[in-house]
Amino acid sequence: MGETIASEEMHEYFDGLEARLKEAIEIANRARAQGGDPKPTVEIPLAKDLADRVENLIGVQGVAAKIRELETRMSREEAALEIGKQVAEGVVGSFPTKKDAVEAAIRVSMATLTEGVVAAPIEGIDKVELGKNDDGSQYIRIFYSGPIRSAGGTAQALSVLVGDYVRRGIGIDRYKPREEEVERYVEEILLYKRVASLQYTPSEDEIRLIVRNCPVCIDGDPTEEAEVEGHRDLERIGTNRVRGGMCLVLAEGLALKAPKVKKHVNKLKMDGWDWLETLIGGAKSGGSAEDEQKSKIKPKDKYIRDLIAGRPVFSHPSRPGGFRLRYGRSRNTSFASAGINPASMVLLDDFITNGTQLKVERPGKAAAMSAVDSIEGPTVRLFSGDLVRIDNIKEAYELRPQVESIVDIGEILINYGDFLENNHPLMPSPYVFEWWQYDYEAACPEKTPEEELKNPSSALALRLAEEYNVPLHPTFTYLWHDINRNEFEALRKFVVEKGTFDGEGTLKLPLTASFEEGIKPLLEKLLVLHRVKEDKILVEEALPFVLCLGLDSSLKEKAGMPDTDDMVEAAGVLSGFKVYPRAPSRIGARMGRPEKSDLRKMSPAAQVLFPINNCGGITRNLVSASDYTSCMNGKIGEIEVELGLRECPACGKETYFWRCECGEFTNPKLSCPRCKIDVRGAETCPKCGRKPTSVANVKLDFRSVYKQAFENVGEREKMDLIKGVKRLMNGQMTPEPLEKGILRAKHDVYIFKDGTVRYDMSDIPLTHIRADELGITATKLLELGYREDIYGNPLERDDQVVCLKVQDLVISYDGGEYMLRTAKYVDDLLVKYYKVGPYYNAETIQDLVGVLLIGLAPHTSAGVLGRLIGFTKASVGYAHPFFHASKRRNCDGDEDCIMLLMDGILNFSRSYLPDKRGGKMDAPLVLTTRIDPKEVDKEAHNIDVPARYPLEFYRATQEIKNPTELESIMDLISGRLGTPEQYEHFMFTHDTSDIAAGPLNSSYKTLGSMIEKMEAQLSLANRIRAVDAPDVAERVLKSHFLPDLIGNLRSFSRQRMRCIKCGEKFRRPPLTGACPKCGGNVVLTVHEGAVRKYLEISKEIGERYGVSSYTRQRIELLDYDICSLFENHKVKQLGLSDFMSGSAR
Amino acid sequence: MLVAIKSGRESQVGIMNEIDIVRAVIEEGYQISPQAVELIKLSNSPENLLKYILATIDDCVFVIEPEHVDLQGFEASTTVSGRVANNVFTPVSEPTSEQTLKSANPDTMKVFDSALDVSEEPGLIPSVEPEVVSAVEVSDSNPEIELEILSSQGSNSDFDSDSIHDTVHGAAHSSFPNPLSPSVSPKNVERPASSFFGNTNPSSASKNALRIDSLFSNQKNSFSSSSRDEGVRYLPGRNPVAVLSDITGHSTCVGEYIQFVQYFRDRYSRLSEILRGRMNARPIESLKRRSFRRGSDGGTEELSIIGMVSDINTTTNGHKILSLEDPTGSFSVLIRNSDKELFELASRLLLDEVIGVTGSVTNDGNLMLATKLLQPDVPNSVQRRTGSHGKVVLISDVHVGSSQFLEDSWLDFLDFLKGESDSEEMQEIAAQVRYLVVAGDLVDGIGIYPDQEMELDILDVYEQYRKAAEYFREVPEHIHVIISPGNHDAVRQAEPQPALPERICADFPENVTFVGNPALVDLDGVQILIYHGRSIDDLVASVPGVSYQEPAGAVLEMLKRRHLAPTYGSRVSISPEKKDYFIIDPVPDIIHTGHVHTLGVQRYKNVLLVNSGTWQAQTEFQKRVNLMPMPARVPVVDLADFDVKILAFD
Repeated sequence: MGETIASEEMHEYFDGLEARLKEAIEIANRARAQGGDPKPTVEIPLAKDLADRVENLIGVQGVAAKIRELETRMSREEAALEIGKQVAEGVVGSFPTKKDAVEAAIRVSMATLTEGVVAAPIEGIDKVELGKNDDGSQYIRIFYSGPIRSAGGTAQALSVLVGDYVRRGIGIDRYKPREEEVERYVEEILLYKRVASLQYTPSEDEIRLIVRNCPVCIDGDPTEEAEVEGHRDLERIGTNRVRGGMCLVLAEGLALKAPKVKKHVNKLKMDGWDWLETLIGGAKSGGSAEDEQKSKIKPKDKYIRDLIAGRPVFSHPSRPGGFRLRYGRSRNTSFASAGINPASMVLLDDFITNGTQLKVERPGKAAAMSAVDSIEGPTVRLFSGDLVRIDNIKEAYELRPQVESIVDIGEILINYGDFLENNHPLMPSPYVFEWWQYDYEAACPEKTPEEELKNPSSALALRLAEEYNVPLHPTFTYLWHDINRNEFEALRKFVVEKGTFDGEGTLKLPLTASFEEGIKPLLEKLLVLHRVKEDKILVEEALPFVLCLGLDSSLKEKAGMPDTDDMVEAAGVLSGFKVYPRAPSRIGARMGRPEKSDLRKMSPAAQVLFPINNCGGITRNLVSASDYTSCMNGKIGEIEVELGLRECPACGKETYFWRCECGEFTNPKLSCPRCKIDVRGAETCPKCGRKPTSVANVKLDFRSVYKQAFENVGEREKMDLIKGVKRLMNGQMTPEPLEKGILRAKHDVYIFKDGTVRYDMSDIPLTHIRADELGITATKLLELGYREDIYGNPLERDDQVVCLKVQDLVISYDGGEYMLRTAKYVDDLLVKYYKVGPYYNAETIQDLVGVLLIGLAPHTSAGVLGRLIGFTKASVGYAHPFFHASKRRNCDGDEDCIMLLMDGILNFSRSYLPDKRGGKMDAPLVLTTRIDPKEVDKEAHNIDVPARYPLEFYRATQEIKNPTELESIMDLISGRLGTPEQYEHFMFTHDTSDIAAGPLNSSYKTLGSMIEKMEAQLSLANRIRAVDAPDVAERVLKSHFLPDLIGNLRSFSRQRMRCIKCGEKFRRPPLTGACPKCGGNVVLTVHEGAVRKYLEISKEIGERYGVSSYTRQRIELLDYDICSLFENHKVKQLGLSDFMSGSAR
Repeated sequence: MLVAIKSGRESQVGIMNEIDIVRAVIEEGYQISPQAVELIKLSNSPENLLKYILATIDDCVFVIEPEHVDLQGFEASTTVSGRVANNVFTPVSEPTSEQTLKSANPDTMKVFDSALDVSEEPGLIPSVEPEVVSAVEVSDSNPEIELEILSSQGSNSDFDSDSIHDTVHGAAHSSFPNPLSPSVSPKNVERPASSFFGNTNPSSASKNALRIDSLFSNQKNSFSSSSRDEGVRYLPGRNPVAVLSDITGHSTCVGEYIQFVQYFRDRYSRLSEILRGRMNARPIESLKRRSFRRGSDGGTEELSIIGMVSDINTTTNGHKILSLEDPTGSFSVLIRNSDKELFELASRLLLDEVIGVTGSVTNDGNLMLATKLLQPDVPNSVQRRTGSHGKVVLISDVHVGSSQFLEDSWLDFLDFLKGESDSEEMQEIAAQVRYLVVAGDLVDGIGIYPDQEMELDILDVYEQYRKAAEYFREVPEHIHVIISPGNHDAVRQAEPQPALPERICADFPENVTFVGNPALVDLDGVQILIYHGRSIDDLVASVPGVSYQEPAGAVLEMLKRRHLAPTYGSRVSISPEKKDYFIIDPVPDIIHTGHVHTLGVQRYKNVLLVNSGTWQAQTEFQKRVNLMPMPARVPVVDLADFDVKILAFD
């Protein structure tokens, strides 16, 4: 890996970050040295590169050095396999048994494959064991568990290959499955598909092929409740329940990624994997479909299956009127996020805003949205009959009340890199200004200002077309491909017979007649903007339109209709210009999930990890726990909790804290849980061999601990609520110091399971910034080390665009306020608890600009160091795509968190992490200090960063070429790796004047009940031309409301009961009626109201939108079912007819 | 007597507050208006007044209003006697009293002494379980040939039926279509001597055999919960039918918590009553209060409790711990794995079944070490009803409307009923048919599973029923048809399910009677319990050895528990009714189920268990779970001797 390759400026930047990090760690170390925490030093190890992270994550000494050495010679994947082999053979690290070596080898190898970021290598592999074949030889069993999902298919599949690779090295035989075991896999995987879900489900024969031949036994812990029905109680398979990890690795790993595995098998020349050929061959039958795609892009409806109520459809698959594809990248798009005009956001009833996830038809499955105002907005028909395009947000808000129908929802900006990443054939590009500009430059020697070229007059466009044979400008190119020949002829005839064309270029058509003859809808389909005035339709600058219809300026037919069914071609022939398709590619979309920007709270929320059992009531309030009495004459504030006992080695005193009153650090006091004897530090109980523990049920004098804590931090005891926890989840029952809770409550901050304060935001990429949109000044930017704008000019003004440095972050204002509270809490903690100086000294959020943060994504275990440089009103977290990629996120609607660096290094401890599967996920087990683009998720390498796409690109899209064919001509990150340019001088093709333009919050979040959202969704569906409202209604009923009704009805009849006093749950009601534990009242968990919730709205929507009679009958039967269940039939005997007439309303 | 009432009054005046009244009313399945509560409270003996109201209130009243508070009638009744107050309403409203639990009639226990002896026999329960009768193959070459599963040719049919069980044992696990060797004759094999049938003397069975089991039923209880409001429906005619127990029109569920409690209490009280005749059990609460050490010998006392299983756990050492619950409390029971027989029995226990346990309580009073487990089961002395004649045809799972519906076979079947079969033998059988029973899933329904529309020929559910009605109009008028719904039918999914709605029934001819699911029906002297069989899915998943291939084995497990769907919260959706309609009491002559699309016939202690097959070919879902249905096979039962013939129509 070696040195970071970067310019001097970037080196300065990195060194600066690291220096400040070092300084912070020193402060934290000084603070922690006082013994107020489980460990006297900072518990987040730093990792400069991948090799460091792997070593820190898995904890095998010497791995880092070896990886660095291997990486100089071979690719990442090869190095991963090789390091695994070396660990297994004992070249690196040392292990007591063969089994342990193999286990570590697989983990190390997998960690290397996943950049040492995700938790899968530690959490996804439960254990590795050696089994016995029927012939007496040994084989390897790898036990996968749920979190293996986070590794991704390729790494999952390769982990099996690693297993095979390392077992050969140490002479273990292959797995020879019994026939019954093979069948078990078949049943189990198909069952898993039903109870959970699989991206790809292999056929039964594929499963058999894999299991029979896979040299390693893919095993796993039970993860699902479901049990197999046949093939039970097999000798070598320890459970009858479904093993989710196994299913994932076999189906989404080996079966789906067989080609990739094959590639490595070939490279390593491993035998015994020839069967992969059969597997790949079997899957190749999809080849013909691909050919089909070659010639034509077909609508895909996958994204609108499973519609959810309240999440509107913006366009049905590839429908006219839906999003028009535009290629390019803005500074806030790419990396699975796409741009639309903020006017579209507003006119789509505010459902979309920055950070809102859209499920899209293509190129990927989902994309986060960003505001880009340099592309076209929606075209709408107003109640007045006017057809107008709205490109700016101000106008959008003004005209929104007048909109009758949204004829076209505008453009969507998607970059080439996203097509490359998804390996999606390039869809034909529309004829856009960027492309026209190439044609113009090639043909015309004139120099015209770019602004004028972007929005030319019809005269200019026609002159260029006539004089230089430049194709007709996009502004005057209409959507000829959306009408057919008959419509074209009807329109032409109508204009000839009824139209008038004045000298100023305005075409007038009679309104009433155009309604009668269906001409107005044709103008709308073509997106010929017009106004309606005094029973006339007025089309301004209409000459190009008139010419394209084959008419002259006196509206006489110049030529007869050419013999073609392609109306774009017809328009070209008739006008004599080059006319290109204006919207050949449309992208269907529906809303996925709304953007997020909110503090992280556990559920129930906690402010300190201190156990108080049930003594704090349901709010788990420490204040009430301090006044708790167990019985009438019990001691006030004495509570019984589980805690880890500790002992002072010097004075022998028992305590729960890490430092004894005498100043000595304490050790856990271990005893055997069964024999109750003190084991004096031994690994196992000398009597029974069990693992000793320090956990004990103790009677804690909480009141005095509580009082002491207040005294320690010098706060007055007048708080109302400090939220603790019921019971600790970590293995040794290590509590946090109470003082931290007091200070957190004072500043109203909450913690996560590891003791850190976090704020969650949707991920959006950002490559360029302007000081004026981040709430800061150019001076501040200069202070932060920014020097020049993208054009190389010195940074002087607030509105200059500069290239964002890779570890700099922009967070929402709300996030800023929360971080400010956290900073104040951290300062209080440093001063009052640790008795050292304050660190942040922040009074306003402006004071936070420049502070260091840790970014951390769910399912991962590696934090990334970042620096706060500004704020945005959008509810998202902006960061460089590399920063997101280093957390192994892309921006398709994911969200993750930030925390203050000082908070992380002061308060995080591994000792707090829950002792259960997945407990180590989502915790900063290591901290990446420097982003090396080579070591981030490879997806980021596919981002394109030129200022302009080449002409060849636009031409290639017309042939629906595969994006990989163009890799060499596009300026991609992958082409810049290993040079200083990998960090700098990125460009974008489309600018935006405000990255945060658009509504503040998606209306999904602001609307109240689900029914309100549903109404909004359907009212929007009614207005958008590209959406079929009855279809939306039917889909919502089918995939949301009906399953909900059925599910709730079912769960009512099988429900559990709950005690309202102590919260105890019962599988069925106790025969005594009351809670046997506390005598409290027991209640239902599912009520009639929950069952009926969607019944009325379903009935109404079914009627109103005329959904299929099948669906309406289903609703009718459910209605009948619900009434039958919740109405006393003895009463109903009289009122049955009343009910019937009531429901038929 | 008078003194007792007085003292009762004194103690109750004042403590009868609003909540008590409302609760008592809800427990009885009514609701009450605040005004009525006020009125009752003002009475000088509110509790007695309330009891009086509840005892006399009209069934069709749902909300008790002030006008239902009949003060004059109450005055009159109290002056006459305290009967109402003392006898009618004890068990439900005051379940905590020890007395309720000991309410077993001493006479019952005496009568049952002989049976008690039998059940005391160690290991009886595991050994009674007969081997599963698997099927019966129909020769391929001759479609209308029938094979008799059980015949009455021997002089002692009990022995015969039992011996055939053993005969078939070896082949029982082979999959259905495997032909059984026709040479296996019931007479060739002798049953081992352990038979318990020796205890009963078949010859002594009189024509109107005494159904001992009826003595188990808690008369008091059934008075309070069922007989009062649920009359028997008689349908006279040449082939008369009496519907003895059926939810239709009697569902009282409105979705309150207390109704769930009530439902399980009814289950407990009725099943525990059956067990109580065989063991001297004490309330669980009493176990906790006392010390069980015997001062002099240091030994521990053997105790018995009856409880509903609320939890089953396995300890790290492989023992089982049961949590048993009765209306007074709950207790843990340890089953040691060293006691093989007991452990085997315990590993077949289901959640929420009611069992009796005998054992000793540990010193700390927290655990009972079991020595004996007792299930309600069917008494050995049950005799089958005799004296009827003719045949009943049992079918289920017709699935009209499904694209897999086997219409040709079905039409052949209708031809058979009309007496139009080619073979004389079939015509002869057809002539004797008096009843046709359909145990659910008449049509395929809509929306039963996701994407069902892909597998339907008729998308309109009413159209499906109209088609079905058309078919049933072809059934000769003299055959009395009884149709019970299943999970595919257009009634509520929660069981007990009421009969199909009037709108659907109207299309069917007059000789069709619609009943609920489950329903106990008397066919001219023979009692048949019809249940669709949703719970078979649960039993297959949790009882070892019970499989879809031998569905009657699942029914047998129900019968041992005297309950059609013991486990709550799994695959069976329930509607909490006042009475537990799933309890098998009285013991019927035939239990008829369906649902799983496979055929199975067994006999257990003179009860005939039939799971009828289907008229639907293998569905996509069944293909995935590798379930082979057994379509177009029809069991025909002779009502005189319970002989079963399987007719094939494929």
